Amino acid sequence: MADYSKFEALNVQILGISANIPFSQKTFADSLKLPYPLLSDAPDLKVIRNYGGLNPQWDMTTAQRWFFLIDLQGIVRGQWRGSTSEVFPSEPILKVAREIAAKR
Amino acid sequence: MMRRIISSMAACAIVALLTALNAVAAERPALPELLKALNVSGYPSVMQPPEFSGFTADGQKASLAGLRGRVVLLNFWAAWCLECRPEMMAFEQLHRELSIQGLAVVGINAREGTSTIREYAKELGLTFPLISDPTGKINSAYGVIGLPTTFLIGRSGRAVALAVGPREWSAKPARALIQALLAEPAVLKGTR
Repeated sequence: MADYSKFEALNVQILGISANIPFSQKTFADSLKLPYPLLSDAPDLKVIRNYGGLNPQWDMTTAQRWFFLIDLQGIVRGQWRGSTSEVFPSEPILKVAREIAAKR
Repeated sequence: MMRRIISSMAACAIVALLTALNAVAAERPALPELLKALNVSGYPSVMQPPEFSGFTADGQKASLAGLRGRVVLLNFWAAWCLECRPEMMAFEQLHRELSIQGLAVVGINAREGTSTIREYAKELGLTFPLISDPTGKINSAYGVIGLPTTFLIGRSGRAVALAVGPREWSAKPARALIQALLAEPAVLKGTR
């Protein structure tokens, strides 16, 4: 979230998707003052399943902490896998976003 | 003739009463203003809080469904949370003053044992229900990641307000919001 403005400057829209219900997501977003939207994939978990991101450690009921970067043509240009125990660095994602922006 | 005079006097009294009620309603600030004054965020009108049930530290069963028809002030707290402490005193005050008007003050503890909850209640003189949540299931369903976090639920069961962090719950803005919710009917137009 500290690098949100860097993503914004590169015209990257951040979306968070989780298995939580919208009510729970609102509390989470307000608590962290998130500047981007959270989308609820409950109860079907269809999007998380389609991205292969269901977490086997939680009986496939939650999402793994994965990141996807999708370009303007809808093509996935990068995928990164984080863990729940540490903050994932945004620099590798920003690097690819800068490369995409440079080619535009 | 006498009957006609009495009935027209009754009609005048009803008109006067309705005018007075309208004046009271007009004087009361709208919900968005009340939320802003307390620095809390609101919810879309359709959003319902998750159902929960649990036991108080005294072993009494409690659930959100059992509070339908009342305004619910739901506070998530823990004994280690220093910012929760002054709020607890305000909640106790509100509980004592307004439960008769339909306010239900409920505390949901975050992952502490019942003995800790009982000692805390005794130390602060708390008499409103404190529900134990040893596994954090209720905290998780409500998305609580920091304490204190407080929710206000209307008589109809809809989510009204969310306060992340402490607020002055016994001060005027909080009381004005709670009083406005207490004045609402249990069934709102267009909801069921």
